[in-house]
Amino acid sequence: MSSGQVTKRVKYKTSVKDAGTPGRLSLVKERLVFRPNNPNSASKLDMQFKYITNHRYTKEGSNKAPMLNLTSNQGASYIFEFESYEDLHICRDFVGCANLMKFGHKGVAELLHRQQKLQILELIRKFIQNNPAEMICSSVQGCCKTIDYVLHSELQKLHQQFVGGGVLTEAEFWATRKKLLEKDANRKAKQRGGLKSSVLAESKPFIDGRTNRVTFNLTPEIVREIFSEKPAVHRAYLNFVPSKMADKDFWTKYCRAEYLQRSKNIAAAIAEAAEDEELAIFLKPDDILANETRRKIRRVDPTLDMETDQGDDYSHLPDHGIFRDGSKEVAESGNELYQRTLLQDLNRHAAVVLQGTPIDEEQLKDTQTVAEALERSKQERSTASKDDESSADQERLKGISQAMTIDDLRGSNDHHLAPLWIKDPRDYFDSRQASSVKTSIEATKGTMSSHESYGLLRESISQIKSMGLNHPVVASEVAQKVLSVLTHNISSTKYNLGKKPGESLLDSLPTSVRDELLHHHISIEELMKHFWSSYPITNKYLNTKVTKLKDEMSKMDSQLQKLKEAVQPDIRHQITLLIRPMQQALEAAMQHYDAEQQKRASKAREKPNGYS
Amino acid sequence: MKFQIEEVTVYFPYDNIYPEQYTYMVELKRALDAKGHCLLEMPTGTGKTIALLSLITSYALAKTESPIKLIYCTRTVHEMEKTLAELKFLHNYQVKHLGAAAKMLAIGLSSRKNLCVNPTVSSAENRDSVDAACRKLTASWVRSMAAENPNQPTCEFYENYDRAAGGAVLPAGVYTLEDLRAFGKEKGWCPYFLARHMVQFANVVVYSYQYLLDPKVAGIISKEMQKESVVVFDEAHNIDNVCIEALSVSVRRQTLEGAIRNISRIENEIDRFKDIDAGRLRAEYNRLVEGLALRGDLSASDAWLANPALPDDILRQAVPGNIRRAEHFLHVLRRLVQYLKVKLDTDKVEKESPVSFVASINSDAGIDQKALKFCYDRLHSLLMTLEITDTDEFLHIQTICDFATLVGTYARGFSIIIEPFDERMPLIPDPVLQLCCHDASLAIKPVFDRFQSVVITSGTLSPIDLYPRLLNFHPVVSRSFKMSLTRDCICPMVLTRGSDQLPVSTKFDMRSDPGVVRNYGKLLVEMVSIVPDGIVCFFVSYSYMDGIINSWNESGILKDIMQHKLVFIETQDVVETTLALDNYRRACDCGRGAVFFSVARGKVAEGIDFDRHYGRLVIMFGVPFQYTESKILRARLEYLRDTFQIKEGDFLTFDALIDVMNIKLTDRNLNQRQAAQCVGRVIRSKADYGMMIFADKRYSRHDKRSKLPGWILSHLRDANLNLSTDMALHIAREFLRKMAQPYEKTGSTTGRKTLLSQEDVEKLGNNGAQEMLY
Repeated sequence: MSSGQVTKRVKYKTSVKDAGTPGRLSLVKERLVFRPNNPNSASKLDMQFKYITNHRYTKEGSNKAPMLNLTSNQGASYIFEFESYEDLHICRDFVGCANLMKFGHKGVAELLHRQQKLQILELIRKFIQNNPAEMICSSVQGCCKTIDYVLHSELQKLHQQFVGGGVLTEAEFWATRKKLLEKDANRKAKQRGGLKSSVLAESKPFIDGRTNRVTFNLTPEIVREIFSEKPAVHRAYLNFVPSKMADKDFWTKYCRAEYLQRSKNIAAAIAEAAEDEELAIFLKPDDILANETRRKIRRVDPTLDMETDQGDDYSHLPDHGIFRDGSKEVAESGNELYQRTLLQDLNRHAAVVLQGTPIDEEQLKDTQTVAEALERSKQERSTASKDDESSADQERLKGISQAMTIDDLRGSNDHHLAPLWIKDPRDYFDSRQASSVKTSIEATKGTMSSHESYGLLRESISQIKSMGLNHPVVASEVAQKVLSVLTHNISSTKYNLGKKPGESLLDSLPTSVRDELLHHHISIEELMKHFWSSYPITNKYLNTKVTKLKDEMSKMDSQLQKLKEAVQPDIRHQITLLIRPMQQALEAAMQHYDAEQQKRASKAREKPNGYS
Repeated sequence: MKFQIEEVTVYFPYDNIYPEQYTYMVELKRALDAKGHCLLEMPTGTGKTIALLSLITSYALAKTESPIKLIYCTRTVHEMEKTLAELKFLHNYQVKHLGAAAKMLAIGLSSRKNLCVNPTVSSAENRDSVDAACRKLTASWVRSMAAENPNQPTCEFYENYDRAAGGAVLPAGVYTLEDLRAFGKEKGWCPYFLARHMVQFANVVVYSYQYLLDPKVAGIISKEMQKESVVVFDEAHNIDNVCIEALSVSVRRQTLEGAIRNISRIENEIDRFKDIDAGRLRAEYNRLVEGLALRGDLSASDAWLANPALPDDILRQAVPGNIRRAEHFLHVLRRLVQYLKVKLDTDKVEKESPVSFVASINSDAGIDQKALKFCYDRLHSLLMTLEITDTDEFLHIQTICDFATLVGTYARGFSIIIEPFDERMPLIPDPVLQLCCHDASLAIKPVFDRFQSVVITSGTLSPIDLYPRLLNFHPVVSRSFKMSLTRDCICPMVLTRGSDQLPVSTKFDMRSDPGVVRNYGKLLVEMVSIVPDGIVCFFVSYSYMDGIINSWNESGILKDIMQHKLVFIETQDVVETTLALDNYRRACDCGRGAVFFSVARGKVAEGIDFDRHYGRLVIMFGVPFQYTESKILRARLEYLRDTFQIKEGDFLTFDALIDVMNIKLTDRNLNQRQAAQCVGRVIRSKADYGMMIFADKRYSRHDKRSKLPGWILSHLRDANLNLSTDMALHIAREFLRKMAQPYEKTGSTTGRKTLLSQEDVEKLGNNGAQEMLY
């Protein structure tokens, strides 16, 4: 695989029912070759990927054999039956990628239009993962470029503008976008799974009736669950494996202990534990857990802490109170040391699930990595948690006192919300209308002429003068009213904007202007990106690039100016507001350029003086 | 809101008030005016506590000339914390509206175990060892020893507190246990002794019932409370049981063995003292001759559990001559233990009255009644003289002396019952000698006598006229309030059949039927998928719960449940259960949702609320029966009949048992108090809602069902009496959808107001409350 070539044992078939010819299928960069085991067989195959138009495969989990079906452009189909699904998947991905490259830019674009973006991205990602960079680098990059290109049609425009206009070279343009896909890939991996809520470790041991053998089935996921629920086992693993015993021996011992535990044969468990100290570790109560319990019980919600009740109960001193009145249940006392019940396990499991122990899926490979990853995440958590533990406690206590309050006795805090009355939609809309009418009435009532509000302000100022500064200088409602009315005329846009959700300034502009604005914005952004990334200027190449960029920027500046002048006067104010940040960015860049240029010039003058 | 009830301005920290809260306050105010006791019943979910607190604090604010103190008793520490949280909320409101005048000191008091901040002491396992560890550092002789020997460890927090002396005071405010600990840590003062000291000065003291009812504790903590106090017993429906438990002692084999060990150790100590400091024992003897059982000036840190008998019954006399000398007293104790050992060695159940028991002790062991009576004080004095600090080691001998003192003090109201084994497990010999108190009025009598007003209140006190007889007092106000609901926010259902139409029950012969187990499991699996947030399940016993969870685990039902919700379980370990509960709440808070499995008579059912999203559905698997063949219960019934003319039937219906005396067919009966406990804590306010499923075919029978509390029965529609799983599922869906709709909170649409605003209350105040509401 790493050489960019895949070879698998397959059976080649011309139709599904065909028995097939056993042989080897090799996939190389641009072609696929099938060589039958029997060299005399006629069914050889050697064809280029570019003739393959489509591929299909059987889904995992179906009863069918793992098969890959390739269709050529002549309509013939080639069916390969693999030995395993794993093989099938590798080959399928290879074919898929090869297909992609064959399609070229145009083909990918077509696929994209058929809404298959995700499949393609997935294919490419797999391909990148599985193959060394050099071999496929160029082709994949080509693909990436295309995808980007199509995904962002603005990009296309930009590309035309800058690369076509000679401001940037092709390489420069794409260099800033290399990470686009990687970012996408990263985002996907970031979601980390917690523990499953069902108890895996409780999966029953498999007992076959004939022999006395008991089989436990452990997967990395189960191991992870065991480790996070039983920290003592985790610690024992880290201590013993591999220095003292092998991985397998460890788990054999563990399973033995589990088996004893489950068979409820306490006597046997004690006997075995006495002989084998490592086995005893698994049977003994978990001391780490006990410590943790002691720590946790102190931070438990005091309104349900039943442990404190016990500490306060003087009537039930040993042998005080009524011992046998039929209401209390008789507790069966056994050997405490070796008794762990299912109920305890369930509680522990649920607690761990609730706490969450995120581990990356990739780390679920073997027990060793699981153990280490868990250890690391634990350490991270313990360092992180110490700081916010106390604050979290505070918050919880606050939550408790809030929970103590009776909700419906509190005054309703009016949000001017229409109650959601699902029973009858008409009621709902009616009440909404009513409330909107109400608010509009209130709004009209609230407006005053600017004269009035100015008068109000003066009045309150004189009041302050006479009475001195009392705590709230002006009643906040008055202040707000005055301010809003006085500023109403200064900027009507500001007043109107943001009042209604789903409406933005851009929507109110004519489409042509809006598009132009957006385009300018994007292109300025692009220019800035390149401009600032080329500082400090260390070589001539960068120097020329910056000069080119600068010219482009000044062109852009004038274009903005023109745009501003061209628009209708009634929206010019808004446009100016929108354009201003762009212009500022351009100006800043230009200033920087000038300053740098001057510095360079002075340096250049100094140098000859100093040396010659 | 702020309103007038007659001349008192009541500060209520909400903008609205329920009408029943208002009338509750009016009645309570009348009782306070009359300086008498009262009995008030109001269903849970109506904000009893806040109504009580705001009326009494407002009353205290209005009557500044004769300040009253509030002593608020809760059953458990976590209820105490809840009360203090509400009080804090109220206090903030009052301070905001009244300023500094409303400032008060409110403290919660608990044991050393819950208050100690000394890390070496508080790490001890249980309460007794914390007490002992504290004594080891703070006892007066230890401290005087430390004054000479700097290596003698002491507790710095206690020393600092002691040094600050009168300066050590708590500033005004509301202190929960956590606040007290934080304050103590900050100042370096011992919070336990500080709190005990401040109890005298506080305006509000919140602590557990026992601190007032159990003479052992009340003797040291509540000695100095003033008469002008209002004592409140909240959630008091079990108060009679607390009272009789406070005066009951049981002696088992382990106790006697431990007592023998204790006696030999005391003997060694005496010998040791004879060698080094014989004068001390002589001084003690002289003191006893003078008639002082204890030195009068015991420092607070020396105080031990007080005499188990009630203060009025303790004789102020000299200790009788035959137990004055330490050696003689030990001989008496030895003979007593020996006698009890012989008594315990029986193979049939015996019942005796204290009088005949004392007589036989006198004839067989030669210990007279007076000597028995002084046993406790004599032991206490001896242990002090011997400077014993590890008191947790001497609990057994203390039990024996408690027993002796009680049996020597009380001739009636008690009986002694010796049982060779638990009747439910006749094969396991576990003999126990129980001195059980039958008369709840004994323990509570001093409280009624001492304090001006005692308020007994709970969600269920019916029949309300029975309590005054049981507790032997005369309330000036005795009222029962009904809850007015704005909408049908509780939905009880009786499920009799599984989805396969086979009956479900925990009846003995059906209990282990795999079909029933499966049907119960299927019910839960279906419910977890439709009910949001928290679900609570109650089982009839631990063993049944253990069995059913194991079989659900094997059949994969548990896995299905876990697909939807996390599972937490009550175990017999209190710490683990507490953590499980805490996690359960977290899971409900964060939206993950969880199921809590609990036992109908367990600690959780007794005192944990599953209100709001913590309990949208309660499932009761089976019928929780109390074992009524118990000898103790029988003896109590007999006593009640003879003394208070309370018929067995009355008491049993009250305790929700069917009359065992007449119906011999069933010896197990539904306990209403229990059933009400389990399902009655789902509603916190009128805005809350919840469902209850009673999953047993026997609930469809009228005689069983009628034992459920009235407020549940009134919501139980006939259509919901005989459901199968799929029908219940349908009803649950409908109910949840209905509850999700907005509703008119004030209930003005239904004609009667269920929520009053400021204006309404003012109108009420003018017209008189009675007309509008009734």
